[in-house]
Amino acid sequence: MNKTSKPSLSAGAWLWLLLCAAVLAYLPTLLTERAFLGMPLSNTQLLNLGLSQINLMLISMLGALSLNYLTGCAGLISIGHAAFFATGAMAAAVFDTQLGWPFPLVLLAAALAGALAGTLAGLPSLRVRGLYFVLSTLAVHYVVTYVFLEYQFKYFDVVGIPYATPRLGDWELNTPVRWYALLLPLVVLVYWGLKASLKSREGRAMLAMRDHELAATSVGVDVRILRLKAFALSSAIASVAGALFAYYLSNVTSEAFNILFAIQFIAMIIIGGMGSLSGSLVGAAIWLLLPSIIGGLSPQSSESNEFLGKLLVEHRAQLVQLIFSILVIVFLIFAPGGVAGLATSLKNAWQAWRAKP
Amino acid sequence: MFEQVFFSGLALGSIYGLVALGFAVIFKATDVFNFAQGMFVVCGAYFAVTAISILQLPFPLAILFIIGAAALLGVLIHMVLIQPLSGRPMLSVIMLTIALSIALRAFIEIVFGPQGRSLATPMPTGVLMLGEVRISYLHLTAALVSWVCMAGFGLFFRFTSVGLLMRACADNHEAVVVSGVNVNTMNRLAWGIGSTLAAVGGVFLGQLQIASTELEGIGLLALPAVVIGGMQSIPGAIIGGLLVGIIEQMAATYISPKSSDIVIYVLLLLILMVRPWGLFGQRELGRV
Amino acid sequence: MTASTLAFSHQARHWGLLLSATLCSLTAWGQDAPQDGVYKDRIDWGVLMDMSGPTSASQGIWVHGFRDHMRKINEAGGINGRKINVLAEDNRFNPATDKIAFEKLVSQTPVIAISGMGTSVSQVALAPTIKAGKVPIVGTYTATKALSEPVSPMVYNGFCGYKQMAQAGVGYHVDKLKLKSAKVVTLAIETAGGKEYHDYVAEAVGKLGGSASHLTVKVTAVDMTPQILEIMKLKPDFITVYGVSNTAILTMKGLAQYGLNIPTFGITYLGAPQIFQSMGSAAAANYKFISCFTPGGADQTPGNKALSQYADTIGRGDMKQDINYVAGWISAQMAAEALTKLGKNPTRARLIETLSKGFTVNTQGLTAPITYTPTNNTGPVVFKLIGYDFAVNKFKAYGEFADYEKYAR
Repeated sequence: MNKTSKPSLSAGAWLWLLLCAAVLAYLPTLLTERAFLGMPLSNTQLLNLGLSQINLMLISMLGALSLNYLTGCAGLISIGHAAFFATGAMAAAVFDTQLGWPFPLVLLAAALAGALAGTLAGLPSLRVRGLYFVLSTLAVHYVVTYVFLEYQFKYFDVVGIPYATPRLGDWELNTPVRWYALLLPLVVLVYWGLKASLKSREGRAMLAMRDHELAATSVGVDVRILRLKAFALSSAIASVAGALFAYYLSNVTSEAFNILFAIQFIAMIIIGGMGSLSGSLVGAAIWLLLPSIIGGLSPQSSESNEFLGKLLVEHRAQLVQLIFSILVIVFLIFAPGGVAGLATSLKNAWQAWRAKP
Repeated sequence: MFEQVFFSGLALGSIYGLVALGFAVIFKATDVFNFAQGMFVVCGAYFAVTAISILQLPFPLAILFIIGAAALLGVLIHMVLIQPLSGRPMLSVIMLTIALSIALRAFIEIVFGPQGRSLATPMPTGVLMLGEVRISYLHLTAALVSWVCMAGFGLFFRFTSVGLLMRACADNHEAVVVSGVNVNTMNRLAWGIGSTLAAVGGVFLGQLQIASTELEGIGLLALPAVVIGGMQSIPGAIIGGLLVGIIEQMAATYISPKSSDIVIYVLLLLILMVRPWGLFGQRELGRV
Repeated sequence: MTASTLAFSHQARHWGLLLSATLCSLTAWGQDAPQDGVYKDRIDWGVLMDMSGPTSASQGIWVHGFRDHMRKINEAGGINGRKINVLAEDNRFNPATDKIAFEKLVSQTPVIAISGMGTSVSQVALAPTIKAGKVPIVGTYTATKALSEPVSPMVYNGFCGYKQMAQAGVGYHVDKLKLKSAKVVTLAIETAGGKEYHDYVAEAVGKLGGSASHLTVKVTAVDMTPQILEIMKLKPDFITVYGVSNTAILTMKGLAQYGLNIPTFGITYLGAPQIFQSMGSAAAANYKFISCFTPGGADQTPGNKALSQYADTIGRGDMKQDINYVAGWISAQMAAEALTKLGKNPTRARLIETLSKGFTVNTQGLTAPITYTPTNNTGPVVFKLIGYDFAVNKFKAYGEFADYEKYAR
């Protein structure tokens, strides 16, 4: 086994990376023009997807990455993730809508607010574990959303808190393409950062803590501080994502951060595979894009009278939900490791097949 | 006025206690945090709609239908969904119950439509006057039935052999398996009981207002009830439910209606910090 | 290890994109989609509502009403030779989903216009985009200040507004009960609309020399004892309810439980038969709802008969009584009449031009005539109070639209 300090990528891997980069760069044009190199594509061929959806998916990826860092890597299960999004939205409301700070500073403030909120939310972990800690995060969720609601009602209209279009200097974020240009590098940055942090000494200590807390403590890992640090970092990222979410929607109420919002991040990391950061990217993509794809496959015509046609058209919304949830259930039963687990077993099977004499 | 609020809280709490009891039975037996308990409540209300309005069964038969259908639902769900996932991490199973609740909701809305149905049971209407306090007969019936169910199951778990086996199963799987008991049957029974209790709660909630998929939100208040009372404790779930009902009504009257939810969750946080195993639960020992 | 997993995850992502590229090449290239949603044999009309979320009980029914009217038109041959194809997007009451669905209807599967838009938060968020854009909103389900003020040629409200509901309901009760200084209670759920409705009620009552108190209740309430006790203290002359089905049901049942005989009226959205049925005839005796639409089957006007007969033939006998169904039907009627005026070459621009000049929708009795002018896009403004006749299981109105016109000023 050769020990290299820097991982080297083969030529093949570089080619894949370049191809992916090219595809990702072309994606906004593809989705806005609805045409591939000049030839128009129908909505079904584009899988019923649009650039707004991709942008929201990118924001959710930030949420999924941060939650997977907390839950999959540090071993702290939390269903209060929506609370940190709400913290970021509130920070953006205070510092931008009320105080008028510039956009980059607002995001920084959101990150700090999130880190603070995360540290506070992580305090119960010093006392309780497992399921009880999960419940404390649920309680934190309700408390934070209540504070958000009170704040909204006191300083803003009942119909929601407005957010101005963000701008970096003279460059306004007023089209989906510009948002994409901001969000994609951000997601890649956060992904690389978290991956690097897991390779660091503290990151490895965190993984040890997740796997066997007592053993980690016995080799000198201070689990209490580490837990709080994990919470702070995860919540800071979620908070920035929340601020971006609020800016993107340009008007939010506390309803946007309800318990369903929190639960969908859990779904993303489970589908992606707990502990796998790249898995949570896939999980976020699947959770957000699959309902649209399913919906796009069914006909919209209100013409047919027979039973199946009627079902597909009249109850389309419910049918999409039904098919989607059944797919999730089937996935959970047959692919316990999520997409990452599936990918690993496929890779192992492929290598085993290749290695056969 | 105080007595009025207190009694209404008690009546409400009885229904929460019923749903919470179902939740606790499932948790104690199979270690599953059943997020679909709220949808079991809704299913109960819609089983009632089916039995009474669609099948037009006489009321005693309708009750049998509801109980039978709810128990069957619980058993089926355990067989098809929970059993294959035994041994998996807690979060996967929680996610499964969440996906299940989405699927159930979509299915009910396809069959019955999203608009809600009125439930026409022949339960008594009218009001009973106890001094200054007015209690509606419907609330009284709900409370009575809840108490009977809870007492019934208390006796079941304490005195019947099946009940004792279930408790043994919950305490120590391996010992029970070694004695030759089919653990799966015990677990299925637990799920059947859990969903039936929720369904009964759903019938009352549907009669008190309207049978709709929105009842799911009400069913989920059983969660803090179970935690406050003690996750592993059967009497704890009942007391927790009553407490939640009383606190909700008190907070709505004396503070503000908006605050009732937040008061309960702050209390939940406090309990988790100070006495996480709940008021009636037992301290859990962790093994290394 | 890290490099190969990274490469592999990139691989996995790339495979996904490769798959979609293959899909593209396997199927035929899509035709050049007309940007307006107008095709040779059909016109695409968009609907954006909550069809599976918390408000689907009312919004889902609205969509049925809209679809059914379009179906009736298509069965009769369509409009100027084209069938109307309703593209209904579900927003699950979620502003993020709403934004995605709106974009879908504007540029992915383009429609000539959109109806519905039942989420207030999304209306406020999308208002600048809508007003500066090309797709008009014809027949909203709810009205927000952000979208309705100032009057824009891009927006036409299709449901009675809270202000008008408050004025008509309050005015009628003050007149009927001959109150000099009325005491009113608004019982509302704690949402944006609830507070807005109370403000309008307070304004209307104040003008007539009375006062209004605001009580709130949570959306998932199971018992309203605290609110009823408060009402007992306040001793109002009449009550108005804003909320969802169980808000109205629990209020009336609670009032009956405490032996309080206070006239109560609910907002239009609470006009569904199952709400009255759940209350029971005793509790519902004091309850009516204020509505600018007439429930199907409640009277014999030509518009109502047409709706009832068609609904019965397609199996919507029960649903036709739901006020949301009627509202959707009427919005579709509005859409159809606008399209008919456009003739053989409809485009979005011509639609906006035609609508902004002003027009009147005559629903033949289902509503009072709805008039839109270049300075007023409020929509239906004349109301009736409607109660339920348990003897025949139908709604019945208290008076005619003409009797209530004086409250519309």
